[in-house]
Amino acid sequence: MSKDLDMVRNIGISAHIDSGKTTLTERILFYTQKIHAIHEVRGKDGVGATMDSMELEKERGITIASAATHCTWKDHEINIIDTPGHVDFTIEVERALRVLDGAVLILCSVGGVQSQSITVNRQMTRYNVPRIAFINKCDRTGANPARVTEQLREKLGLNAVPAQLPIGLEGDLEGVVDLVTMKAVYFDGDNGENIREEEIPANLQDAADASREELLDAASMFSEELMEAVLEGTPTPEMIRDAIRIGTLALELTPVFIGSAYKNKAVQSLLDAVNDYLPCPTEVENIALDLDKDEAEVKVSNDPADPMVALAFKLEDGRYGQLTYVRTYQGTLKKGDSIFNSRTGKKVKVGRLVRMHSDEMEEIDLCGSGDIVALFGVDCASGDTFNSSDTNYSMSSMHIPAPVISLAINPVDNKAQGNMSKALNRFTKEDPTFKTFVDKETNETIISGMGELHLEVYIERMKREYEAEVEVGAPQVSYRETITQRADFDYVHKKQTGGSGQFGRVAGFIEPLEEGEYEFVDKIVGGSIPREFISACDKGFQASIAKGALAGAPVTGVRLTINDGAFHAVDSSDVAFQLAARGAFKQGYLKAKPMLMEPIMKVSAEGPTEFQGAVMGSLNQRRGMILGTAEEGNYTVIDAEVPLSEMFGYSTVLRSLTQGKAEFTMEFAAYRQVPKSVAEEIIKERQKEKK
Amino acid sequence: MQKMDLADSNPLRIFAQDAEGNTVDKRMGLIMSRAGLGKTAILVQIALDSILRGNQVLHVSVGQSLDKTRAWYDDILKGIVADLKTEDSNELRELVLRNRLIMTFDEVTFSRPKLEERFNDLVAQDIFRPTCIIIDGFDFANTDQQTVADVKDMADSMGLQIWFSARCHREDDRLSDEGVPAPCHEVGSLFDTVLVIHADKDQPDLSLDVIKDSTGCVKSGKALELDPATYLVK
Repeated sequence: MSKDLDMVRNIGISAHIDSGKTTLTERILFYTQKIHAIHEVRGKDGVGATMDSMELEKERGITIASAATHCTWKDHEINIIDTPGHVDFTIEVERALRVLDGAVLILCSVGGVQSQSITVNRQMTRYNVPRIAFINKCDRTGANPARVTEQLREKLGLNAVPAQLPIGLEGDLEGVVDLVTMKAVYFDGDNGENIREEEIPANLQDAADASREELLDAASMFSEELMEAVLEGTPTPEMIRDAIRIGTLALELTPVFIGSAYKNKAVQSLLDAVNDYLPCPTEVENIALDLDKDEAEVKVSNDPADPMVALAFKLEDGRYGQLTYVRTYQGTLKKGDSIFNSRTGKKVKVGRLVRMHSDEMEEIDLCGSGDIVALFGVDCASGDTFNSSDTNYSMSSMHIPAPVISLAINPVDNKAQGNMSKALNRFTKEDPTFKTFVDKETNETIISGMGELHLEVYIERMKREYEAEVEVGAPQVSYRETITQRADFDYVHKKQTGGSGQFGRVAGFIEPLEEGEYEFVDKIVGGSIPREFISACDKGFQASIAKGALAGAPVTGVRLTINDGAFHAVDSSDVAFQLAARGAFKQGYLKAKPMLMEPIMKVSAEGPTEFQGAVMGSLNQRRGMILGTAEEGNYTVIDAEVPLSEMFGYSTVLRSLTQGKAEFTMEFAAYRQVPKSVAEEIIKERQKEKK
Repeated sequence: MQKMDLADSNPLRIFAQDAEGNTVDKRMGLIMSRAGLGKTAILVQIALDSILRGNQVLHVSVGQSLDKTRAWYDDILKGIVADLKTEDSNELRELVLRNRLIMTFDEVTFSRPKLEERFNDLVAQDIFRPTCIIIDGFDFANTDQQTVADVKDMADSMGLQIWFSARCHREDDRLSDEGVPAPCHEVGSLFDTVLVIHADKDQPDLSLDVIKDSTGCVKSGKALELDPATYLVK
């Protein structure tokens, strides 16, 4: 590859689902001669677009995993990450944005700025990713790129300025007017591969003049040279491009391009724009944490001669083992090199180094700084940093949203059991937002993730890729029980009706424990319970707190004190005192006014302000307590505390309530008392289950 | 200590009842000072007093984040709890959490109609029924008299206590006839109560001067002392 970093572009393609980004990527690969035929996303030829490498993606017509690919356009090396467009998969988008230098924000000319565009735009802002916009699907009925540009300004707050005008729209889309060169550009041939430049059609001249003036006004804010040239009437295309580039890199200008990937219109112009306006690796500041210097922040150098630092941002289980996508930030990564994983301290050898083109690959010997490549057979987790032996850097940690939904899964047979654990092991490594654990109380495997679709996709993948068929249970909440006051107990366990008898008496009190789950206090004096049976009492109590008498939930926050008792020289035994303690607990527990507690989640819902009332209402209906709202422009964040049991299925409710424009995250806050009426219902239900 | 004891020991209780001991429901209040003297702290103490008396408070913060506003409450509450050596701090915190709702807006977004819309939204859906609204960070310098008059109408018609904060500047010494400093000198008459925090370089404490109070709770000219470290009213 070229050593000249100025000619490298690491770009992401992000957008709302169904904006056509996979089709666009497919066309880019065609024009950059990476593929030789064009397949449609849901193509009749059964092949599917090249970037949708997972079978499931092909079937659903959505992009799940971001496949990285490399191509060359006019001497520029472009690494493209095709990112998923669904809100449930935002970690994929976020990870992609972390390693990218620039991005193309794709919008549908009909749908305009949709919820995912808003989310993605915010993510891009969080990672300071310069972006250009591409209004796709201009061939569709109802296409209105001017309206979408307006939405970019209003809804996303971007300084969006058209860099092109459409020649015809909907079915009549013929090409675009380039407002920098003031030429009409047409895309001829079966696949639009022949570019023809003409004079601007007379009927568009006035509109083109007006739009150009708008573009020059916006661009000249970033270049005095251009401003002077505009005043003198002599701006050159180079001057305009330079100024747009400065504005774009400063995240203060978003040039807007238009076209139709499906109809092969203006994709090449977009590629030119990627080269012209998106940054090269040296133009982006990336910060690493020096683990040897108490995590001091260090700016990575991008110098291929410096010690190597690379971030593993994506793992895939390929046909030949684990494939690890890495982005190098400085230094050179060579085949045969030994590199360190800064998280584990383990040394690994770079066996094979490949440049990926979706699921086809090209073997390479080395890659320089700022590049995106894949390694074979390296054991690591997503987000790990690799160093050559001279440094111990960790790339700043990625923002990982906490999982918001859990489901219980049970394998249908033994074979599925084994495959399921293999699959879960893999998924948790690949995707930090996907978590799994075995619930000690129910003994079920629980999976949790970013949304219902997120988990559904993993369940599907388990079935397809690992032949692990699982039954999916309804989401469950773990309740707890505790007591509210002190109560005495005095219980005799007596079974002396023939054969070896049992006898034990345990007396004392139970009281709430402020901190901690359980405490046992022995205040027996005078040997009313012999020493050897004290631990049996403790055991008996511990067995009792595993399942409370209200709803069978674990009891927490109790202190049990024994201060009296009695024994029988022959009939008292370990078992007898354990049973006596259980009886004593039951007696005292019910007198100590037990209550049911439930996990309360801190919920943060965000979306357009117009839905604020509806979202607050929906949280309130779910027994939520609204803590606060933050309104900024047309966007509102609502903070609330809501019982977990009320949050199942909320993502679907929220989406339908807000036309899919709002999203929420939640995390555990505390256990709190279940309101009486609700507790009664739960207790009734649990007792019915017991029977 | 019971919550009413807490409320009774709050020095700001003087604004809760008039001379005859009647509870004052409606009020347009204003706290003014230069930057950094503790306007927000006073507002939060007023809010806490209202909550302890069994009311719900809507705290509107213009130009400040949710976390920052929340931190004010946590700090002030911590100070009060420490001062009064109350043991039930968790219960108190819960009480505040349940009866306080914070709304933050950026400067551009906030407006009187927006506030009314949000307020009605809360009440109509029975999410929250505030009887006291705190508005911190309102831009009086760029507000006309009519807007403030509209807010007063809202307070009157809904029977609300509305407390504002306003920042005054050293270089602007304009005063209304009643002694209300700029930038509120032209709207001073719309307020029932105006308090100004003063820092005197010879005195360690800050003072909270009552510029006017037409509700009959406090006589104009009275001054309360503020602890400069905690901003708590002494």
